Amino acid sequence: MTTATLTKPRAVMEVLRGDPSSRRPADTNSAAGLRAELEDGIFSIIGSVQLTTPLLIRSSDLRAAPATTDLGSSPLGKLRGVLLMQVLRLQSVGVTTQQPFNDALDAWRSEQPGELAIQFDQLSADERARLATDVTAHALTLLRTLGDVPRHWPVRTMVRASQRLAGGSVLVSDVVDLVVGSPKGAVASVALLDVTSAPLGANAERVARFHALLQTLRTGEVPRCTCALSTATGELWSIDVNHELLARSTHELLDTIRYHWSQR
Amino acid sequence: MTTMTHRRYRAYELVELVRAPVEEVSTLSSEQRRQLTLRFRAVAGLEHRRLDAWSVERAGSSQSAFHWTPATTRRILGSAALRRVVSGGGALLDAVNDEIAQYLARAATGHARDGSLARWLADAPVAVRALATAESLNWARTLDEVARSLGQPPTIAAADVYYDVASARTTLRARRDLVIDDAAGRVIVRVRNGSPGRHAGPGLRSDLTIDALGDVEGKAARRFIGVWPDAGVVLAVEGTFDNLRAGAHDLVRTAVAQQRQRPLKAA
Repeated sequence: MTTATLTKPRAVMEVLRGDPSSRRPADTNSAAGLRAELEDGIFSIIGSVQLTTPLLIRSSDLRAAPATTDLGSSPLGKLRGVLLMQVLRLQSVGVTTQQPFNDALDAWRSEQPGELAIQFDQLSADERARLATDVTAHALTLLRTLGDVPRHWPVRTMVRASQRLAGGSVLVSDVVDLVVGSPKGAVASVALLDVTSAPLGANAERVARFHALLQTLRTGEVPRCTCALSTATGELWSIDVNHELLARSTHELLDTIRYHWSQR
Repeated sequence: MTTMTHRRYRAYELVELVRAPVEEVSTLSSEQRRQLTLRFRAVAGLEHRRLDAWSVERAGSSQSAFHWTPATTRRILGSAALRRVVSGGGALLDAVNDEIAQYLARAATGHARDGSLARWLADAPVAVRALATAESLNWARTLDEVARSLGQPPTIAAADVYYDVASARTTLRARRDLVIDDAAGRVIVRVRNGSPGRHAGPGLRSDLTIDALGDVEGKAARRFIGVWPDAGVVLAVEGTFDNLRAGAHDLVRTAVAQQRQRPLKAA
């Protein structure tokens, strides 16, 4: 069931925690079926061809429908996204930043980023000032809506997942911004959060489903919920993960693979 | 014949791999060590070299120079923080912060040399230290999850295994994160980010060999398990003589490949 919180949420962290007394038992059976469905679907698309360079699918490939322009994928949009991610990571370990742009920039540069850093260095003073204002505004919304992260909570940021399918011919890769909870328990407790600086729409919902699918394939356990937070509007969508949602994401992933395969 | 087990990263699979008996656990004799030393001496260069599973997987191709970044601090800080929590309790985040504070104190009292982690942390802005905390926390939680999936409590390794090959200017390093040592022998778990590449098997076997070389009696681990949580994949090799020999061959081959690349670099 998909639920959209129309009223202002309490705090994102509270929504991610949910009600501990009403959690469903952990589903560790669905992953194998979903993987088989994906393998069958990919076989129907690419056949038995073994690619030397795998077809790489990322969450950004699902974000935009083919032949449309995604403003978030512009250089400034990408820079805003990676810097906001740094703000989220600092907040997740209890460091509240007073100068979000400068701190995010320090943190990002320490990771020795590649091509995007060159793009940042090539920005004019006007563009840099605009980016700083933009990041500061989005960071304030993020910090206000996120709430405090309790010290004892099992929180992880920038959690990567990669799955080789069709004998390695297709590589599906994903990064979830924030993961709360730990799999391998008796009840489903994992909540996923995707933070985007764009307003929420069909793309954000598709990416949230994709995160849930990849997390299921990676850990073998279905997460409890997958959420999307927009720092443009402060809006939060929380979606319970069930088999129907995962099956839908499987079909969306197969459609994306079909599209990219046809473009090769 | 070498063998390798491939499993999904699930708790019951790991428990089975830890418990399952193996047909043979080999021990390296002094003569076998001597033979390996002779092979490395034959490819000794002017510079000291360090070989590990990563260099085997990359067939000896040169790696970029090491720099401290939040990502490169995560294993040191995260594992130490988890050890702290296992022995003394408390929250992992506090343990990571305590570890960083300890490094900062070392730098403040002048006990840290240039280029060390303590010096890097001391010179880093607050935001960079916070990012190192976030990375270390990720690592510690992942390692904790793997440790809880093994079915019996492991020891969190305090250091990797190093083996200096005498008069060959070569140091071998085997990575290990969790160790289970019982009557049936050692089981070693190594956790890696990303997904296993095409040469992950040879890398795992070379770790098995280096670990056996680093053991005083030359006894191989019962099983060496590589866990890739990002990919949800587990690979394992048993401590058989064939696996040890294959690991040694791969290490020597990597040394030869590195030796061949050096003149090209110089040119």
